Amino acid sequence: MIAASVLLVGGGRAWAQPKPEGGGEPAPPTPARSDGPPKAEPPKADAPKPAPPKADDVKAAPAKVDDVKPPPAAVDAAKAEDKPPADAPKPPGALGFTFGSYGRIIAATDGHGGPGRDADVVARGSRMDEANYAELELRRDDYWKKTGATTRLVATLGIGNPIFHYNGEFDIKMAVRNLYIEERGLGADGLSVWVGSRMYRGDDIYLLDFWPLDDQNTVGGGVRYDAKQGTSVALHGGLGQPMNDFYLQQSQRQLPLNQPGVAAVKILDRQRFIGTAKLQHVQKVGADGAGLKGVLYGEVHELPSGQRQMEAQVYEAVPANHGWVAGLQLGAFSGNRDTHVNLFLRYARGLAAYGPFDRPAQLSPDKTAAGAHELRVAVGGNWEYGPVGVMLGGYVRSFRDASPGLDYADLDEGIVAARPHVFFNEWLGLAVEGSFQAQKRGVLLPPTAPDGSAQAPNGPLTARLYRVGVMPFLSPAGRGDYSRPQLRVIWTMTVRDDGAKQLYPQDDPLSLRTTEYFFGLGAEWWFNSSSYGG
Amino acid sequence: MAKLGIGTILAALAAAPLLVGCMEFDPGLAGEIELGTHVSDWHDEVIYQLLVDRFANGDSGNDFNVDLSAPGKWHGGDWKGVEDHLDYLADLGVTALWISPVVKNVETDAGFDGYHGYWTQDFAQPNPHFGDVPALRHLVKAAHDKGMKVILDIVTNHVGQLFYYDINENGQPDENVQGGHCPSDHYEKVTGCTASSTVQHVSEYDPDFDTRGIQAYTSLGESGPAPVIWNYDPASNHMPPMPEVFQNRDWYNQRGRTLDFDVVDQLLHGDFPGGLKDVNTSRCDVKQAMVDVFARWVELTDLDGFRIDTVKHVEREFWRYFAQKVRQRLGPQGKKNFLMFGEAFDGNDELVGSFTKNDLPAADVLARENRCVTDGIPIKAGDQLDSVFNFPQYYSAIREVFVNAAETQKIQDLWAQRPKHWGTEATRGGAGIVPSESPVNFLDNHDVGRFLYWEKSVPALQNALLFTFAEQGIPCVYYGTEQEFAGGNDPANREDLWTSGYDQSRSTFLWIQRLAKVRRTYRALTHGDQTVVWSTTRKADESDAGIFAFERSGGDAGKGYALVVLNTNPDHPSTTEFQGDRMKLDPAVAGKELVDVLSSSKSTVGGDGTLSLEVPARRGAILVPRDQVK
Repeated sequence: MIAASVLLVGGGRAWAQPKPEGGGEPAPPTPARSDGPPKAEPPKADAPKPAPPKADDVKAAPAKVDDVKPPPAAVDAAKAEDKPPADAPKPPGALGFTFGSYGRIIAATDGHGGPGRDADVVARGSRMDEANYAELELRRDDYWKKTGATTRLVATLGIGNPIFHYNGEFDIKMAVRNLYIEERGLGADGLSVWVGSRMYRGDDIYLLDFWPLDDQNTVGGGVRYDAKQGTSVALHGGLGQPMNDFYLQQSQRQLPLNQPGVAAVKILDRQRFIGTAKLQHVQKVGADGAGLKGVLYGEVHELPSGQRQMEAQVYEAVPANHGWVAGLQLGAFSGNRDTHVNLFLRYARGLAAYGPFDRPAQLSPDKTAAGAHELRVAVGGNWEYGPVGVMLGGYVRSFRDASPGLDYADLDEGIVAARPHVFFNEWLGLAVEGSFQAQKRGVLLPPTAPDGSAQAPNGPLTARLYRVGVMPFLSPAGRGDYSRPQLRVIWTMTVRDDGAKQLYPQDDPLSLRTTEYFFGLGAEWWFNSSSYGG
Repeated sequence: MAKLGIGTILAALAAAPLLVGCMEFDPGLAGEIELGTHVSDWHDEVIYQLLVDRFANGDSGNDFNVDLSAPGKWHGGDWKGVEDHLDYLADLGVTALWISPVVKNVETDAGFDGYHGYWTQDFAQPNPHFGDVPALRHLVKAAHDKGMKVILDIVTNHVGQLFYYDINENGQPDENVQGGHCPSDHYEKVTGCTASSTVQHVSEYDPDFDTRGIQAYTSLGESGPAPVIWNYDPASNHMPPMPEVFQNRDWYNQRGRTLDFDVVDQLLHGDFPGGLKDVNTSRCDVKQAMVDVFARWVELTDLDGFRIDTVKHVEREFWRYFAQKVRQRLGPQGKKNFLMFGEAFDGNDELVGSFTKNDLPAADVLARENRCVTDGIPIKAGDQLDSVFNFPQYYSAIREVFVNAAETQKIQDLWAQRPKHWGTEATRGGAGIVPSESPVNFLDNHDVGRFLYWEKSVPALQNALLFTFAEQGIPCVYYGTEQEFAGGNDPANREDLWTSGYDQSRSTFLWIQRLAKVRRTYRALTHGDQTVVWSTTRKADESDAGIFAFERSGGDAGKGYALVVLNTNPDHPSTTEFQGDRMKLDPAVAGKELVDVLSSSKSTVGGDGTLSLEVPARRGAILVPRDQVK
């Protein structure tokens, strides 16, 4: 079957098809990763505007814009502005230039002399064994006294594996992620407008590096209004044109007017439009910052019709495609130590069931994505008390492509993961993680033992694995499950069944080994980098 | 509240992945399936041969490496496409589908793709270009639901280009340069090489036949048997054969390319031109493996028959073993009347028919062959195949008479030989047909140019179709005939059917539809014995030039009677009369009025049982007694 990979946006995970991994090894295919840039953003804890942290939480909470002193240059820039009148609204946050970053770096082995590998079978597995990734974010904030508005310009570069000191290649795998400008308070308090390229997201499940409800990576714009009662509404529209022949086909033609040479002509040239709408309400409960959160979410996906060249002078009409998403999120947070829980429910249909950067495959007989669908149910949360805490994450997902019947791209999968922490003091802690994941794919194994004695397969291929991990770490910013940076020693052991091994090609070590180890040193950080805005 | 929520959700989460289990294949697509007998009498069937890659593309998800720009490339057809067009086929009137091989093939070789299916790499895996096992099962079941049967094309003689002979022992496939002198006496004898011969380039993929096996060669001369090296190129699927038992090098004859098909050693043991490696089918373990892999496909999909490729390149003892063991294995599972017909690409009727003979071999030969039996059920009979593809008739009748307007006497001569050349008893536990009465008749196929390529006359095509539908045997229509495709030799004769739009109004589509209906309606055309009542050696301006007429009656046709009269002359009407001598029919129809069921015209047989009937050029008639007209 053709690769029916369904990428979940820029995170680079293949939803449905093994793809070569672009990580720290020589790119053998793995079942759940793609060669795209790994997803790497820091987590969002719970509410969009959590209550001010208590004094003893400041060091442990995720870094926020107003937690960080602006660098001297930014201060100077702020001074250069005229002072606003006394009754003017105060400019939010720091002004001037700010640098932010998310990143993770790791040096690990598989115990056999090779690099540590991610052995997940599901699209979103444990975060402990992810490959190197970093984002470098430069931000500029200005306040305009004449309008009372603030302007934020965000430029974020994502850097993927590998890095020079590992492979000796003086090169870099880098992409522009954010490049947008946002206006706040222009025309009305609580109103914001943005235009540009943006990672536009809601809440995540940290353990799985997963934004299960809304996770947009488009070039477009959006508007958001935050009412004072804790309700907000956000609209967004954006375009994308992944580089594959579902969207773009070029062919050479001779230059006009009998000029020598050829030019590339776009025979198929269509963009995917994604529109999103999000209604959110945060209801505070009590006076200690606790609250409830509810989100209604929807997407529409539109792809116009076109034509494709089949062979010289032979063209084929390519039909339009449509899709939609409906989603729901319910959450609760304590307002204390990032304790929260979120439940996500998301259903996608048609084109929207496929990842926006992917080439929809296994289409319906009319060559559209009609009939494809995906259901996700996910839970993420964190609880902390005193020196202990536990992070939770899990999801189940069912994807069916548009083609009738079952095939390799059709899958059901799920994972549950838990990571308890204990802090021995403010800077030293130990985390252990346990997870179980399983996946079914719509393939029947063909007869491999042709002597008539072999049993025909009775159902789809099922792959399962268990993983345990131990991770002592240093937390210089103080205790807290979300406190970063962390410097870590990571050890994991993954026990995989035969189904998991069968997802890998012949001679791939993961097709041979039942137990997979990952042992290494790692670090993870984030500060000043939460610009998702969703 | 938060604690309670987390605890509850944690419990649910722990169970969730275990509950991921709603993915189920439809019944019959997974697990073992029950085999059934879907054919009551193969004489009633009309076979339609199709190349899966060219018939219909029903699943764009398996369209990898598709290139429509050349006929030698993958074009995207698949089993789903066939299934989607079963109604088209049913409307055409065909009842049995012969689908091209399903096993995984070499992807591409020397610029040509393995779209046809005859370059086996893995006998046990489906070709992913066409679908998966559930898709094939679904196709077969859907066909059965419509009363159609499915015949699988299989190849036992050879595999794809899976190894090379490392003649120069440099560990890589290349051209070996030989010459300047004769490398051996044997070589000199075979090739006529002289000491002054010029340099020759020998492909290590496809060297010329050598009875000793391909020999390694250096500038100093030969150095023993050339090593056999498996190819290992995953991208083109030049990979060692599978299942793994096929990776035994002794399972291949290793004698190089067949140069002369008339030399038995080369015919049986030479690689098929193009580097297709010849399997040593005389080995017991090979015989057993072939039964296992191909019977397994039937057990997995409930197929109704095999069309077997290149049978003349395989020993008779293999066919005795293979055919009987397949029947012994499938019969107890409920698969009766399983048809196995072979392809011997040859005009020699005696040779072709020999694969249907059931002469018991000599006792010592039989004893030797039975040493291959491991299941305790010995081979007791000489049974081989149920039928063969009627290549002798293709040459003698279709090409010579219907295309080139040669004398029709050739057809009668050929038919007269069949009881001597072909088996005259049905195989035990086989398809239930007498081979000599059940040839698989065709006008063209994927290995020869289409009828309209040789003769660009639709009336001639339709007249030949009438012949194959009315004569004794099982008619077989090559896909695209109904759309009047006219491609020449391979690969031009493997057009994409979808370019026709599956037009059901084309005259030849309607003609086949009509012939199939007539054949279904009149049992004499499917079960009657066959008697030639007029043929001629005249082919010019004579009154009967081009006339060929035969009766179908008796046999299992009851009282049914049909008279088939064809005029193969391209230029003028002809009659069943010459110089006062009139066609004489079965006395049972003397004085009766006959009705042409194709044109409704009527003729009356004389009281003396004679009939003079004029037939337009390249036209024909099927006449039945008026009281039998339906």
